[in-house]
Amino acid sequence: MKSRFLFPHWCRYVGYVLVIAHIPVMLLRKMIGFDTSGSPINNSLLSPHHLFFMTTTLLMAIGLFLAAFSKEKVEDEQILQLRLDSLQWAIYVNYVLLIVSLIFSTDTQHILFLNLLVPLVFFIIRFQWKIFQNNRLLRKDENPS
Amino acid sequence: MKNNIRIERAIKNITQAELAELIGVSRQTINTIESNRYVPSTVLALKIAKVFDKPVEEIFMLSEED
Repeated sequence: MKSRFLFPHWCRYVGYVLVIAHIPVMLLRKMIGFDTSGSPINNSLLSPHHLFFMTTTLLMAIGLFLAAFSKEKVEDEQILQLRLDSLQWAIYVNYVLLIVSLIFSTDTQHILFLNLLVPLVFFIIRFQWKIFQNNRLLRKDENPS
Repeated sequence: MKNNIRIERAIKNITQAELAELIGVSRQTINTIESNRYVPSTVLALKIAKVFDKPVEEIFMLSEED
């Protein structure tokens, strides 16, 4: 069974490193108050503010993307199905959240940000959780004590 | 769908890991098939049958829910 459009397995770790590396940079941005969107000076394209925002957000988005869509050690049809299942879940959860936030909030910038994060984060957690469950059941089966 | 891979494995005296390697899937996949949590594709079912040298129907059979 061929899995198409997936990164090599090691890309997962690159992805995790990028996501973790993005956290202190983002916190720094919040701390030095670089995150003041809304003022007209800061909102022009390719202004320092925009460039900084772009690079940190890209760091996170690319990191999540690599972590989500890299191959497992053994790629077989069951993994393929788990991946598909988890993707469906992630899209459902994302759309429920999107609809709820569209009804109860007008903060479009944060809605956009949420929309960037939720599908990939939920997908990664659900997918890895299912793999973890399978591994646990396998171990239990191999040494029933 | 039910299956008797576990019994066939015992007859042939091979482990889940060995069967997994023979047909090129993970041990987890064999484990989930044996415990009826995953229904394999036709290709995989045929490969498993080939390992045990038996027709597919003798290893996989429909259950009442199917």
